[in-house]
Amino acid sequence: MKDIEHLLRVAAIFLVAIALFVAVRSVVKPESYGKLGRYRAAALDEIKALPVRYAGQQECGPCHKTQAREKAGSSHRGISCESCHGALAAHAAAPKTAKALKPEESSMRGFCLRCHEAAVSKPAKFPTVEGGKHNPDMACSMCHKPHSPKI
Amino acid sequence: MRELPRRDFLKLTASALLTAAAAAAAAPVAWAEKFYREPPWRRKKPYWGFCVDIEKCIGCGRCVDACKTENDVPREPFYVRTWVERYIIRKDNEIKIDSPNGGMDGYPPVENPETVAKSFFVPKLCNLCENSPCVQVCPVGATFKTEDGVVLIDRKYCIGCRYCIQACPYGTRYFHPILQVADKCSVCYHRLRRGKVTACVEACPTGARMVGDLSDPQSNVSKFRENNKVQTLKANMGTEPKLVYKGLDKEVR
Ligand code: HEC
Ligand code: HEC
Ligand code: HEC
Ligand code: HEC
Repeated sequence: MKDIEHLLRVAAIFLVAIALFVAVRSVVKPESYGKLGRYRAAALDEIKALPVRYAGQQECGPCHKTQAREKAGSSHRGISCESCHGALAAHAAAPKTAKALKPEESSMRGFCLRCHEAAVSKPAKFPTVEGGKHNPDMACSMCHKPHSPKI
Repeated sequence: MRELPRRDFLKLTASALLTAAAAAAAAPVAWAEKFYREPPWRRKKPYWGFCVDIEKCIGCGRCVDACKTENDVPREPFYVRTWVERYIIRKDNEIKIDSPNGGMDGYPPVENPETVAKSFFVPKLCNLCENSPCVQVCPVGATFKTEDGVVLIDRKYCIGCRYCIQACPYGTRYFHPILQVADKCSVCYHRLRRGKVTACVEACPTGARMVGDLSDPQSNVSKFRENNKVQTLKANMGTEPKLVYKGLDKEVR
């Protein structure tokens, strides 16, 4: 009968350990942990709140009707405005304070040729030119309208 | 009442027990089969997927640049969340893969183009694995798969042990030198949840990249998967990516 004392002692140690674990866990565990899965649910809200830099194509049209209409009828229709003009969410929100950029005439050839320079790796259907031979020394925009490039 | 012979009694009991056991076993098996065979996007709405059409990619690198701008991916030192590889396969089967600066600033001209058998661009990004090795190895639960199928990083709880960077079979993770945490493509989760497409999709001029909701059979990605022969990268690893490619050459790893 005295042997039961050993068991009780072990049980006591276990109980203390479990109590300690529960206590520590309640302090250390992030509040939203486990709400959605084995992670901190609040992290999702932090990620969702990250800033947006690209406004998206649909935002530009209402203010820039001419360019939007012109582009919609051209072979550049699939290209979003910000693919060429860069991230403009700030501009779309406050056009007076946040100026938008457009490719400069001095860098125009490099800008257009990034997409249009002939190369074996490009899909055969894609319209390309050899930059060194296609009217060199002239900005592409002298002949092609960027928003409607067909001549 | 007629007495039941012992032999018949035993037979009856055994067959009754067997039927009951089979019925009890069948239910969870049927459930498990349904659960594992059925694609996960039948269970949850929305469920994000990504498609890449290699036959449309022109290697302009606008996606790489847009991703960096949108997500503050460091430019100096240079890291990428998405990048575009150029494959050059010569007629003698020699293969060269390059991606200078992730393809952001273009590629040097191909030497001896007449000896090229095949050449194309392959955009790479997070493969949106259903069974993500990176999630499995994280010791602190800082990297996780959301209910809508996207693998994300909890920057506050990441301890920067780099284990996940080793674990990703696609090499899409890197160590953020400023934040001192692991970082990866989040398929612009902050944009998706605001109803916008990812920055790379926004910037892609040819429609080679697509993002959408797999749980909607009418969505762009569902239609694309249905109408084209699509493949995943390293299918043998069992990660079950939700990023699929059309026109994937067998040489692409
Ligand atoms: C709320 C209306 C509004 C929206 C939305 C808007 N813009 Fe503008 N944008 C303007 C105004 C007004 C100007 C002229 C600003 C000035 O000259 O001071 C301008 C100027 C520009 C310019 C410069 C023109 C030049 O001659 O230098 C570009 C390029 C441009 N916008 C592109 C865009 C794009 C791309 C978007 C979509 C992301 C966009 N804008 C959204 C109102 C808007
Ligand atoms: C193919 C690349 C490209 C796309 C796509 C594009 N632009 Fe432009 N945009 C240019 C270039 C290049 C210029 C500069 C033209 C010049 O200086 O002659 C420009 C100029 C502008 C200007 C200045 C006024 C003008 O017409 O010259 C505005 C405003 C503008 N773009 C708005 C837009 C909007 C809005 C969209 C989307 C509907 C858009 N752009 C799409 C390349 C592009
Ligand atoms: C971001 C990539 C990109 C940039 C930058 C770009 N283009 Fe394009 N361009 C395209 C795409 C995509 C098409 C459509 C190809 C197709 O129809 O398959 C195209 C088509 C064209 C065409 C063929 C028009 C036709 O109807 O046959 C011309 C010409 C052209 N672009 C000129 C230009 C010029 C000039 C510039 C510089 C202002 C420019 N592009 C900048 C991607 C680009
Ligand atoms: C002197 C005027 C001029 C200049 C400058 C110019 N082009 Fe052209 N481009 C043309 C003409 C003319 C054509 C033939 C028109 C056609 O067939 O549609 C053409 C055709 C093209 C085509 C092929 C369209 C197709 O359908 O296959 C592309 C692409 C193109 N140009 C891009 C550019 C780019 C990029 C630049 C700047 C580096 C540029 N062009 C500069 C006049 C010019």
